[in-house]
Amino acid sequence: MKYAITHHTAYTYSSGVALCHNEARLLPRETPWQQCGLSQVIIQPRPALSAERIDFFGNRVLYFAVQDIHQRLEVSVATRVQVLDNRPFAPDSPSPPWEQARQQLHEDSDADMIEARQFVLNSPFVASAAAFRDYASTSFSPERPLLEAMADLNRRINQEFTYDPHFTTVATPLHEVLKERRGVCQDFAHLAIACLRSLGLAARYVSGYLETLPPPGQPRLVGADASHAWLAIYVPGAGWAEYDPTNNCMPGEQHITLAWGRDYADVAPLKGVMTGGGSHTLEVSVDVEPQEARATPPDATAAATAATIAAEATAATAATPP
Amino acid sequence: MTDATAARLDSTAFAGSPLLADYRYPAAGYDEMYAASGELRPHWRPLIQTLDELGGEELENRHAEVQRLLQIDGVTYNTYDDPRGSPHLWMVDPIPLLMTGEEWSSLAGGLEQRARLINALLADLYGPRLSIRRGWLPPELIYAHPGFLPACHRSLPDGCRWLTFYGVDLARGPDGVMRVYGDRSQSPSGAGYTLENRIILARALPMLYRDAPLRRLATFLETERTTLAGMARHNPDNPHVVLLTPGPNSPVYFEHAYLANYLSLSLVEGEDLVVRDGRVWLKTLGGLRPVDVILRRVIDTFCDPLELRGDSLLGVPGLLQAVRGGHVAIANALGSSIIENPGLAVFLPQLCQQLLGEDLRLPSLHTWWCGNPSERSHVLAHLDTLVVRSILPGGTYWEGTLLDKASRARLIERIQAAPHLFVAQEPPPLSTAPVLDNGRLVPRPVMLRGFAVAEGEGYRVMPGGLARISSGLDTLQAALQKGGISKDWWVLAPTPQRHVSLLRQSYGPIMATRDGSDLPSRVADNLFWLGRYSERLDGTARLLREACGRLLEWEQDNTDERCLDDLLEALDIAVPPVAESPRARFFTLRQELLNLIIDTEAPGGLPQLFSGLLRTGRTVRSHLGDDSWRLLNRLQQRILEPPSGLGARQARDLLEDQSILLAAFCGLNNETMPHHQGWMFFDIGRYLERVLRTLDLFKLAFITARNPGLPLWEVVLTITDNMTAYRRRYRSALHPTAIIDLLLFDEGNPRAVGYQLYRLQRNIGRLQRPSSSPYRSAEERLILEALTILRLADIEALATLSNDSTRSSAELTRLLDALQVPLLKLSDALTHSHFSHAEVPRQLITM
Repeated sequence: MKYAITHHTAYTYSSGVALCHNEARLLPRETPWQQCGLSQVIIQPRPALSAERIDFFGNRVLYFAVQDIHQRLEVSVATRVQVLDNRPFAPDSPSPPWEQARQQLHEDSDADMIEARQFVLNSPFVASAAAFRDYASTSFSPERPLLEAMADLNRRINQEFTYDPHFTTVATPLHEVLKERRGVCQDFAHLAIACLRSLGLAARYVSGYLETLPPPGQPRLVGADASHAWLAIYVPGAGWAEYDPTNNCMPGEQHITLAWGRDYADVAPLKGVMTGGGSHTLEVSVDVEPQEARATPPDATAAATAATIAAEATAATAATPP
Repeated sequence: MTDATAARLDSTAFAGSPLLADYRYPAAGYDEMYAASGELRPHWRPLIQTLDELGGEELENRHAEVQRLLQIDGVTYNTYDDPRGSPHLWMVDPIPLLMTGEEWSSLAGGLEQRARLINALLADLYGPRLSIRRGWLPPELIYAHPGFLPACHRSLPDGCRWLTFYGVDLARGPDGVMRVYGDRSQSPSGAGYTLENRIILARALPMLYRDAPLRRLATFLETERTTLAGMARHNPDNPHVVLLTPGPNSPVYFEHAYLANYLSLSLVEGEDLVVRDGRVWLKTLGGLRPVDVILRRVIDTFCDPLELRGDSLLGVPGLLQAVRGGHVAIANALGSSIIENPGLAVFLPQLCQQLLGEDLRLPSLHTWWCGNPSERSHVLAHLDTLVVRSILPGGTYWEGTLLDKASRARLIERIQAAPHLFVAQEPPPLSTAPVLDNGRLVPRPVMLRGFAVAEGEGYRVMPGGLARISSGLDTLQAALQKGGISKDWWVLAPTPQRHVSLLRQSYGPIMATRDGSDLPSRVADNLFWLGRYSERLDGTARLLREACGRLLEWEQDNTDERCLDDLLEALDIAVPPVAESPRARFFTLRQELLNLIIDTEAPGGLPQLFSGLLRTGRTVRSHLGDDSWRLLNRLQQRILEPPSGLGARQARDLLEDQSILLAAFCGLNNETMPHHQGWMFFDIGRYLERVLRTLDLFKLAFITARNPGLPLWEVVLTITDNMTAYRRRYRSALHPTAIIDLLLFDEGNPRAVGYQLYRLQRNIGRLQRPSSSPYRSAEERLILEALTILRLADIEALATLSNDSTRSSAELTRLLDALQVPLLKLSDALTHSHFSHAEVPRQLITM
């Protein structure tokens, strides 16, 4: 599926900002299942300096500095992306028993496996703990195939947790999410990652977008979409399999990948440090517009849930992605 | 001491030496001075002979002299846990630790190789990561360590140096082998203390140092400077090199200021720097000045709140991007703290083979990494004899022998939960070296801190370094926090070496500069406050002195009690009810006054004011002369360590003493600091504070006084030290109009408001302004306003003050109030014009 994606962010400050340095991870990365056209980036006021680079995790990062006094900063990124239906794993893909996968991950000297082991370790937002291991162990029963257990964990998070954009912020501890059984897409992805790492498995955080479909009979609303987040689990020797606990599915053509890392801290879409500014307000809008007619309707469940989420997230000024 | 462990006493010519009479070292150990045969090692003999000639008593005298010199030079080590925040004095043992030139050459070769290895390892870890991908290093050891900074990945162009400065902790075991206890790659401290130790000891023990055949340190520091300058990508002929310090609260701030001075670098804090147009700039009074090279003494994770720790206030936003752009060079490169990971010791021999194709020459202390299952089982099985360390920064360790059952179980649980975060070591007893103790030499375990600096393609190793008394468990920082003792480490040379000081040499062409416009704005701000604090301290001390004096007179004669009330009011002391018996009242008041003089907790008291003065003074250490600094150290003793059991009389004497020292401090600054921008801020601070206090004093004496009249007028004259001036000029009884002329209108009397305003106007007019506007700045307008109000005052209307004339009194009130208005705005105006670009950046909430 081909998409035109527009991600617009605006900060308005109560007093002038004399200088700001920023990093944006808003340019989608190229993958075997995702081809990216040119991105158009518009930053107002015009940055004195900008530079693109590839970070440690292979993501595209845009650094820019605004040196003129300003009270409003707007960052708008428009990209054309084609997502193919060839992600390496499907719901019925075979996988070894999870204990065997874990052992292989930790003992094999293959370079990919060695690199994947960094995603078992604690990261800024996700630390292993017995509570997460206990929650996961229901799904990860002895000898169960890795991906079957993962799909079950994905389903349980989806079913046992309430999507609630008013409950959490970026700073809400994961233990609280587990205790209250509430959160948004970012929390669910972090939670699943914590569960897997607590079992000694490797998991990474993926940030991106999800195409949302309007309720039947209604026109598509421009700008009603939002950033999205899911996770990927490492299958030794086979690669990374993606799961979206918010929608109880495996990401497909509707999931557009921006960046991945150990957790949200590695892939925050926009961050900055400024001098001056006072208090500020934030506006975010995301638009994922399909560029071709749909041959077959996509998975109805996923799309419907996503539409609700997007509407709620917009209502909550979309300070955090779902 | 039993026969088994007790020592063999020397049977040579030194057997009778009283210095060595008590020197008993463990028989199983290695002593630096005595060989196993029980004889003095040959390279120690000339030293012992010289020490013997001096004798124990004289050595103790010299030791006291060493500590005195350290005290007056202000050589300190700050501790975080000291409630008063006053720094600890650096302790130095006068007996050097000797090493032969041959042994050092081989040691230096090992250190040089380790430095190259670490540089190659950093280049690999932040580049291709072959050491991880090919299995020479377990990924957990690197990726779980907070010193590995993914943001620094490929931040330096290929071929760039990652490690410029290298520090190493070394110790010798009973087998005589030197081993590395820790590699310091971040911003190794100690080179400055090493140099200061050498300089102070050479002053206190000239006969020992003058012609000693020891390798000198100056050429090493010269290399440090050349290497730093050589890193500049811009201005290669005259690069701007700065030393980035976390500030005066850093435990080793003394060293930062010392090295900046010795190497002629600008001493800067994060907020002095800004990244614009991809380059790093120093904010100065004259505008932004480009920075080419940063000698970094801030932990790398704190250096850039954009890409590293977002909560850091010590860093510079955008710094890492400026590094990537190649516009600024940092020593050591950001990301180097990953090396300070004790687990790496296990893998260095193999890494040395793989990365350098060489055998590792200098071994590390034997280390087991618990991330490896077989090593973990060894550690758990031998926990009782091992020392377990966390690989994380902070140096936490557990001594197996000291663990009780419960804490042992807890430790095992922690290791098993995250084994990759732990290592274990079995530190052997360290070699012993002689230390002076009560006029005798006694053996104490020692560790060494060595240093290397990049030079050309390799590294130059400092011939010597810092020795310290240590059990081998604590890091240098931790040991110093506990008040450790350091020693000078000598490397012997075949012939006497000339003593060279870097300070006396010039290096190539230098651009003469004089105007001081390159003064960092923050430094100007601090000099301004240094002036304000010194005057505030002086004013309060003078008020207290008068109050103590009146209290003492009151003891004999009741007449002055009333004026004491007004003084108490000026000091913000609640006047006790008259109902109290005079005796009780005396003691209450005395206690209140003493609190302000000695209580470190009393708000507005002398200790707090002095702490403010000292804190500000330390941030501008490099702008004060050494003599001024010695006076501050002496004042610190007087104010923060007053004699106990102080009465009112002793308190008054102490205050007089303080006033003189403080006057000497300000006077020396006037005589020593060049009268350019920095000094002007100091002077403006002083006179602004003084004029505000003088106006307050006038209000107190002539307007708000509860008990107006002669005694209070007298107080005004004594506080301002103008009694004799008054007498000489008027030869009459006190008259308020005359006092007002002397202390308000006189533009030639430094204690008079007129002079103070005149001086403020002169210096404010000479301040350099960032913009070249033809109009008067806000601060110029304010001071002009104040001076004009004074000059246009209706002096006639004030002439009848003594007659209780309401007209005169109202006129004075009006005048004093009118003067205060512009003066109270002046401080803010100065801040806005000259210090405001020192604004602190903050993080934008991420989304």
